[in-house]
Amino acid sequence: MLNFKIIKMKKNIIIFIAIFAVNVLFTACEKEFLETAPTDQVPSNVAVENTDNAMAALNGIHRALYVRYGSQGRGGAGHFNMFMSEMGEDHVFNSSTWTTGLRWILTDSPTNSYNRAHWAMFYEWIANANLLINGIDDAQGEQEDKDIVKGQALLYRAYCHFQLVQVWAGRYIKGGNNSQLGIPLRLELSRDPLARSTVEEVYTQINNDIDNAILLLEGYSRNNKSHLNANVGKGLKARVALVQGNWDIAIQYAQEAREGFPLMDQDTYRKGFSTKLDENGEFMWASHIVADQTNYFGNLGAYLSRNYSSSSIRANPRSINKPLYDMISETDVRKTLWSEDGQHAELQDGYEISSRHSRYPYTSQKFLAESTSVSLMDVPMMRAAEMYLIEAEALARDGQDGLAAQVLFNLVITRDDEYILSTNTGQDLIDEIMIQRRIELWGEGFRWLDLKRLNLPLNRKEPGSRHTSSRTGGVLEVPSSDNRWVWVIPQDEIDANPLVDQNPI
Amino acid sequence: MKKTEIKVFSRKILFLRIMKIYTILFFVTMAKLFAADAYGQNITINLKNAELKTFFTEIESKTEFNFFYSNNLIDVTKKTSLNVKNQNLDKVLNQLLAKTEIDFRFVKNQIVLFPKNNTSISELIEELIVDDEEQINSEESSEEVIKSKITTVIQNMVSGTVTDATGPLPGVTILIQGTTRGTQTDFNGKYQIAANKGDVLVFSYVGMKARSITVGDSNTLNVVLQEDANLLEEVIVVAYGTAKKGDFTGSATQIGSGDIELRPISNVSTALEGSSAGVAASMTSGQPGSSQDIRIRGFGSFTASSSPLYVVDGIPFNGSINSINPADIESLTILKDASSTALYGNKAANGVVMITTKRGKNKKGQFSLNISSSIVDRSIPEYDRIDAKQYYEIMWESLRNSEAIPGVDSDEDVAAANIFASNKIFSELKNNPFNVPNDQIVGTDGKINPAASLLYPDDLDWEDAITRIGFRQNYDMSFQGGTDKSDYYASLGYLKEEGYILNSDFERISGRLNVNFQATDWLKTGLNIAVSTSQGNQAQATSSQSSSFVNPIRFTRGIGPIYNIYRHDDSGAYILDENGNKMYDLDAQRASGASFGRHIVAEIDYNEDLDEITSINGKSYFDIKLTKDLNLTVNTSFDQRHYYNTDFENRYVGDGAPGGRAGRTYNRRTSVGFNQLLNYTKTFNDKHNFKALLAHESLKYKISDLDGSRQTVIVDGNTELINFVSTLELSSQTDELTDESYFGRLNYDYDGKYFISTSYRQDGSSKFSKDKRWGDFWSVGGAWRLDQEDFIKNKSWIDMLKLRASYGELGNNSGISFYAYQGLYDLGLNNQSEGGILLATLASPNLLWETSASSDIAVEFRLFNRFDGIIEYYNRKSDNLLFDVPIPLSSGIESVPENIGAMYNRGLEVSLNYDIIKNENFEWNFGINAATVKNQFTKLPQEEIINGSKKLMVGRSIYDYWLRDWYGVDPADGEILYVASEDAIAAGGSTIREIDGKILTTDDAKANYHYAGTAIPDLTGAITNNITYKDFNLGFMFTYQIGGKSLDYNYQGIMSTGTYGTALSVDILDRWQKPGDITDVPRMDDTQTTDFNATSDRWLVDASYFNLKRINLSYNLSNKVLSSIGSSSGRLYLSAENVFSINARKGLNLQQTFSGTTSNVYTPSRVITLGLNVKF
Repeated sequence: MLNFKIIKMKKNIIIFIAIFAVNVLFTACEKEFLETAPTDQVPSNVAVENTDNAMAALNGIHRALYVRYGSQGRGGAGHFNMFMSEMGEDHVFNSSTWTTGLRWILTDSPTNSYNRAHWAMFYEWIANANLLINGIDDAQGEQEDKDIVKGQALLYRAYCHFQLVQVWAGRYIKGGNNSQLGIPLRLELSRDPLARSTVEEVYTQINNDIDNAILLLEGYSRNNKSHLNANVGKGLKARVALVQGNWDIAIQYAQEAREGFPLMDQDTYRKGFSTKLDENGEFMWASHIVADQTNYFGNLGAYLSRNYSSSSIRANPRSINKPLYDMISETDVRKTLWSEDGQHAELQDGYEISSRHSRYPYTSQKFLAESTSVSLMDVPMMRAAEMYLIEAEALARDGQDGLAAQVLFNLVITRDDEYILSTNTGQDLIDEIMIQRRIELWGEGFRWLDLKRLNLPLNRKEPGSRHTSSRTGGVLEVPSSDNRWVWVIPQDEIDANPLVDQNPI
Repeated sequence: MKKTEIKVFSRKILFLRIMKIYTILFFVTMAKLFAADAYGQNITINLKNAELKTFFTEIESKTEFNFFYSNNLIDVTKKTSLNVKNQNLDKVLNQLLAKTEIDFRFVKNQIVLFPKNNTSISELIEELIVDDEEQINSEESSEEVIKSKITTVIQNMVSGTVTDATGPLPGVTILIQGTTRGTQTDFNGKYQIAANKGDVLVFSYVGMKARSITVGDSNTLNVVLQEDANLLEEVIVVAYGTAKKGDFTGSATQIGSGDIELRPISNVSTALEGSSAGVAASMTSGQPGSSQDIRIRGFGSFTASSSPLYVVDGIPFNGSINSINPADIESLTILKDASSTALYGNKAANGVVMITTKRGKNKKGQFSLNISSSIVDRSIPEYDRIDAKQYYEIMWESLRNSEAIPGVDSDEDVAAANIFASNKIFSELKNNPFNVPNDQIVGTDGKINPAASLLYPDDLDWEDAITRIGFRQNYDMSFQGGTDKSDYYASLGYLKEEGYILNSDFERISGRLNVNFQATDWLKTGLNIAVSTSQGNQAQATSSQSSSFVNPIRFTRGIGPIYNIYRHDDSGAYILDENGNKMYDLDAQRASGASFGRHIVAEIDYNEDLDEITSINGKSYFDIKLTKDLNLTVNTSFDQRHYYNTDFENRYVGDGAPGGRAGRTYNRRTSVGFNQLLNYTKTFNDKHNFKALLAHESLKYKISDLDGSRQTVIVDGNTELINFVSTLELSSQTDELTDESYFGRLNYDYDGKYFISTSYRQDGSSKFSKDKRWGDFWSVGGAWRLDQEDFIKNKSWIDMLKLRASYGELGNNSGISFYAYQGLYDLGLNNQSEGGILLATLASPNLLWETSASSDIAVEFRLFNRFDGIIEYYNRKSDNLLFDVPIPLSSGIESVPENIGAMYNRGLEVSLNYDIIKNENFEWNFGINAATVKNQFTKLPQEEIINGSKKLMVGRSIYDYWLRDWYGVDPADGEILYVASEDAIAAGGSTIREIDGKILTTDDAKANYHYAGTAIPDLTGAITNNITYKDFNLGFMFTYQIGGKSLDYNYQGIMSTGTYGTALSVDILDRWQKPGDITDVPRMDDTQTTDFNATSDRWLVDASYFNLKRINLSYNLSNKVLSSIGSSSGRLYLSAENVFSINARKGLNLQQTFSGTTSNVYTPSRVITLGLNVKF
């Protein structure tokens, strides 16, 4: 009996050990059992390990220009540009949908999600650029590739700081010391609070970054126009100079920037801007969205195009304001981009507007999505015409009226065969250039910024204006002294960054 | 042959009577009544392979004896062979019946046959024999006399079966009240007892409520005993084991299968609401199959999850709770305090819900069947909204006021504005449902044209068009049984529930097999496998779809009352298609606020959003007895959930139009767990009881995803991806989470009076970096059973009195990313054909476990054998809160996970139960529970964090509202008034007004923000009543909440002062109309919607409610009915869930979220059910 018990005990122990061993084998003793890693992400240190990865990280920024930031109406750079347009007077809404920009709601509410999303978006691109700018020198790879990466990253940093300082800080005053509060100037990846630099400091940094970038990108031949080359750098430099009132710089860089980017012909213009801006020689910088990178109803084409079937476009196709429309010559090809009766009889082949799209006068067909069912549309970022306009404006403001009129002529004659060289001088010439600028760049993200840089009021009550108090939420006139020209800084920034002072509400 | 006489008895009582006869005969035998000469009788028989009855006929023919038996009780067709010569009859019969189940006795010249091993003896028969011994013994005693005596006895015998919820109950004591006469049920739960009409039989059994039943006319009394929840001997399921409730040192509530069985619940989580003080449930959605969110004792975390851990059969569960068939559940245990949850240390900081599935309890075998049918409709009605005529007038006023305001602007301007509005209102609203021209709908007086009548009044109700009365059917069957060495439980369930919204449903087939086997005296093993497959069409009305156009609740709530669903001709008649059907008006013009271009009825009709989920859950164990006191248990679990979603958006209307779009999502979650438990139990000196546990556990959880979508359909009617032209998305990813733990527990009690329980646990998690991943957690709990002390023991009115207290520190890492500590770039940010990556997260190498230190003190009592309760105070401090710490947006990253912050949840919980009436036929138990929660931050990463409508600050709770301070409406011009912020006052300007000495503003951007109350109620709880009268049972539960505020975004959405096309609440009729109007609704004005409708404390509403959560009426089927269907127990029940809700506003669902905000989600259903539950 005793013997039997011992045998049984032994058996127990054997089984116990066996089972325990199996368990332990499968789990605990694996050294790596508690080490896991994602499959849709990579460790951050690989980004600047070599130039290939750095190029991928740069492409990530290119792509970030057209991804969604939170909810649907915040689709990156294109949407930001759209807000800059619709907050001006030339862009008319036909229905009260997505009115956050039109009604200037995002300007004075620190908790407004659109305000916050755009602020955060630009700084996100800056952070990605900073990682490359500060890390690329130690990466493995050719110096040439490093230059390409670093140059583009610098341009992004400059572009973002430039947009931020134009919107969230007081305007740059030519000849002033510009010691007014600018924005936090982020030059490295850091989570530390950072105070606002002065407007002057910000512009100095922007110019430094652009100058460095132009040097690094000299001779760089890019794959497509989503990448930034030296011309884009020069175009950016010209834009900055225009804001700063550095007319000679603006003139020089606007000229250099557009080298190699001939103005499009009238047939091309008539077709509007759709999905193939890379093939349009005039475009210097544009994002091309392909099918599997779509943002669906979040694409710019789902808001600004005429033909896509989104609830926004069906109910609220965007119109040009009648006073501006009336200023376009009948022989100007650009007049065909808006349909006076809203029926769009001259829509180019291959595009249609469905019966469920509302019809309103003066609606735009300047922007067209791939089709009624596909919202893909390239995002225009910079083109040669703007460079002509910068140059003409800078010349005119610099008192070089003759040259200015000629540059203006060089542009407008390609749009309107009947255009004759302007005989205007002084303010009249400037006014004419500005009207051409409003016509040429309608919807591309300039008007509100132009009003601000020129210290002009918003006036949506010009005779014949189709703006209504109802649509605009009563925002028909905003004097240039109004606080809303300087957007409030998002509350989340204020809360986490005690060094930042809020703008006046 | 006397058999014929027996056969005339009705079948129903045949069995009983035969039994009686044998009982009497047995007694007769004992009284030596059998014929003495039986032994003298010899017989010769030689039959081969003949039926028994042939033998009996042979014997009858060769002797003077007759056989007396029933074919129903004994099998006389069995074949056998026998060859005897001149043998004693007694011996012959013994030999003949040796291998059968038949026993025999001689009575006079009769041989009575009856089943073997029938030991039932009746005292009455003994009495009878004593009384009538002489008479029976006398020579005159004939067959007739015996039979008449038998008949008397039969009439006084009561018999039946005693069952509990799971089946027959052996060993139940049955006593005739006031006597010592009694019996017990046999192995099959059957009993018989001699009792006269009017006698009271008392049925009692350990762990069950005793029942007293008066004997009536029927001789059959089947009795169902209910578990006695108050009983201290009740065994409850706790972490890694079980415990006697009376001895338990922690805080736990158990819900038995009986409470689940009769409720039409599709998801186990539903059963938790109201069951225990301090357990809060949100009624998130009426989507069939959806779960409730549960919070136990407040809100323990901010970024990390506050949901409790679900543990199924001892293993933490990662699957979907709705894959578990509620009918398979034996018990649900809610563990609330640290002492009881500590053994799940790393996952249990928010409490634990233990789900234990059924196993074979009834060795003989039992089949049970539960059939129920329900109707499903909407539990909370829609908000009251204005009708078409009112709508046109109100919106006219909005348009008119945008031009000129009566009493504010000049009369001429107003007159012009009136004309303008009358001319233009149609062009704003875009649809004219009236029989008058478009420019004559509303007169310049603002009144609807008196000649106007609706062209299609029956075609304006969108809510009606998408709703129905849903039908729910549920069939559950299970079989359980076993042998001495094994037990098994097998079940199959089928559920189909249609939601009240069209094309929303849930269909589930589930099966379970639970087998346990005692292989040797030292090895026990078992396997529990459950498989469930479900499919459900989704209504797309979740909170994340609150503003989506395909959300039927949002669409129908928000669409103005002037828009038609179907196409009409000019006369208003329906335009029909070639088949005579109405046609959706897809091209209808509507204002943009009325979901222009969209059509929810058509989209529900044409689209598809189908979830198909298959879950496999398996668990096996070995239980090895190493020594008498030492046990090793090895558990292995496997849990896999396959989710497949079919998504199709049609090409005619909606998001897919005009191309058509389809998507497929596959998600597989696998979790594999192992644990090894070493249990040691020892008692010294009969008084020192030790229980120790040492264990190791590891869990691996893996999620695999595959997502694809394509657009532009090729051939209609096929939604597979191959039938589409271009690819929109194609991606896959795999994520893994691993946990490993070592833990132990030591329980000690002294003489059943003093209890102490301690535990320690070390947890490692892959969510934290190598240096920080191990956390140490522990707990200690103690209990003192005062009622076991001599000074109380003799106080008969105190049945139980226990004091208990516990303290423990637990960890939490749920709700944060699997890779929270790693700095990462996102893949998939490709730019055209070039690969792209983008910075996603910053590294946080110092991230570690959030800890929750809970203390708990409670007194439990039971007095006068009818009043019991628990009063409990808890204090739960969460520290090192896992927090997505907001960092400056200007850093380019919005937040970094860190351990910063601390908060506490404290509160008092009371549950009381009182037997208002407690007698034989009538019982009424009343229960009430109530709980308070005080939640407060004690430390935060920054001074204040604004989180939507809330602001977090030290000294404030997680759900304190931070909103614009709405003041009212200016009677002068109907402008909205907010208290102005200091900055705004300093800046001044046209929007600043001074009224009654207060500086106010009409601009929402200049309004002052302030703390405006909290979403956390002062008191929550439930009231239950359980009334049993004879075979009827009525139970109902109210849940209530007192205090707290809800931010009613849904109401805000239908109070717009000028969004054309959007429906409006009837409260808009109180709007300001002319100077002097005192109201809190501003004027209609489409230019002012931003200011007038801004989110502010104007939209807060009292969140108190009183809901009749469920009501349940059941009836135990009479024995007559039961025996006719051959069933041992049966219940018929009628129940209703979510019966009504009383609160401050019609339409408001206050249980939608814990944070107090409302959104457009599938309003919960009311389900009314008729069901039958029978056991065989």
